[in-house]
Amino acid sequence: MTALFGVAAGIAFLGALGVVLARRTLYSALSLIVNMMALAVLFLLLDAQFLAAVQVIVYAGAVMVLFVFIIALLSPGAQERLRPLELRVVVGAAAAVLFTVVVVRLTLNGITVTASGHFHGVIGPFAPALVDRHGQVQTLGEQLFTTYLLPFEITSLLLLVAAVGAVHLARSRRPEP
Amino acid sequence: MAGDGRRGVILAIGSGINVPLTLLIALVKGVLLLVVLLTTAAYLVLAERKVSARIQLRIGPNRVGPGGFLQPAADAVKLIFKEAAAPEGRDRLLFELAPGLAAAMALFAFATIPINQTICINGRGGAGPLSAACPGGLALHWDLAHLNIGLLFILAITSIGVYAIFIGGWASNSKYALLGALRSSAQLISYEMAVSFAVIGPVLLSGSLDLERVVGAQHGLWFVFLQPLAFLLYLTAGLAETNRLPFDLPEAEGELGAGYHTEMAGMRFGMYFVGEYVNMVTVAAIATTLFLGGWMAPLFFLPNWLGPIWFAAKVGLLIFVMLWIRWTYPRLRYDRLMQFGWKVLLPLGLANIVVTAVFVALR
Repeated sequence: MTALFGVAAGIAFLGALGVVLARRTLYSALSLIVNMMALAVLFLLLDAQFLAAVQVIVYAGAVMVLFVFIIALLSPGAQERLRPLELRVVVGAAAAVLFTVVVVRLTLNGITVTASGHFHGVIGPFAPALVDRHGQVQTLGEQLFTTYLLPFEITSLLLLVAAVGAVHLARSRRPEP
Repeated sequence: MAGDGRRGVILAIGSGINVPLTLLIALVKGVLLLVVLLTTAAYLVLAERKVSARIQLRIGPNRVGPGGFLQPAADAVKLIFKEAAAPEGRDRLLFELAPGLAAAMALFAFATIPINQTICINGRGGAGPLSAACPGGLALHWDLAHLNIGLLFILAITSIGVYAIFIGGWASNSKYALLGALRSSAQLISYEMAVSFAVIGPVLLSGSLDLERVVGAQHGLWFVFLQPLAFLLYLTAGLAETNRLPFDLPEAEGELGAGYHTEMAGMRFGMYFVGEYVNMVTVAAIATTLFLGGWMAPLFFLPNWLGPIWFAAKVGLLIFVMLWIRWTYPRLRYDRLMQFGWKVLLPLGLANIVVTAVFVALR
């Protein structure tokens, strides 16, 4: 298990590096797919099979297909190399550091380390005992439609707005037949 | 007493070297699955040529081996030793990677399809469709990897398979290949929607994404009788997913050269070819699992322990229908194909989901 985690985490890391470092844009996109697939394997190792499948279907499959399509069709040339102290590099680095701090802080919330060096977290809604009793999809669905109903609905509204906006932009270019 | 002794041994194995045993079983299953799938794909090519010959009142390949039985071997040798010509200006890495990805994803997708009911070795509870029914023993699943979301796994792998086609066409640096790749990825993405909508019917009825449970829920009445529309939708969209006539626009020979694999020669083409035929087997196997009762005997008085045989027979029947359709319907025009997918299959699939959901809720 630990070995598998190491391999998957390593691949995810290399994929993430590839996104940033690849000279050709299509290779960046493909690296991002590799990264997402490796994350799906990490979900599998955490026994979150449903999340793993959704990760692949939605992100690696649906979203990235469009990215790859557009990149391959518009075929942008190789990116020019960034100079180390350019403004966007500095802002990007600051955002990355801030994000890391927030994620680490949130992950460490409520985790205690026992004397033997094991980690203990808070028992959340996705604890193995609950998931075993109700099944993964059922637990997730129940949480989505009760505890997290408001964020869920707001997200779907956001997606709807994006879809309507895309349709509007696509249609306004073309004269009515 | 002898029985008790044996149980002791197996329990010792089960508790002591559990992980190596699981790995060993997975390895054996993986190798078996690979051999069976690749052999099936090879003989499917022969079957295709034989069936098309019969339909066109010809004899078909009959020179290599008795009745043409060794033709697949000859084909394979030819493909392997053919000069692998490759175009100038290709993307070298992706050009080599894409055909392998196509074959690998096709083989990978079969991993969660159960071809028999779970057998409980040496535990209480005996044979049953659920892993929970085997306490203390070794539950032997008849799929390579038992996931409780097996169906979603297959959909996920299929959605990755699109990249093999698109990247292969793009990396070839050829306009025919690129156009073919564009067409086929657009087609695959559109019909993937129809496939996902069609499979929700059986999932709603059985209340599970675990393919073993879906088959178990069909005891006594197969879902093809409760979900005839979903079955038709799945078969239609499945034909499109495997690029077969009447939906074979990605490689419409008269218009696009050979579509996305125009520039692929030798074994590079061979990998795509293998992937395509394995995909046919997978589509037929999923249709069997979701709608035709999987491993269950077709008639109640036939023995259920012949599970894999019944499974193979049903898959073979569906594949024959797919071959038959190829020589019955002409190819669709591209805009008609997209319209059919988005304006006919998708709304029908949606309607089927609504009706099924209402039926399940009121049941």
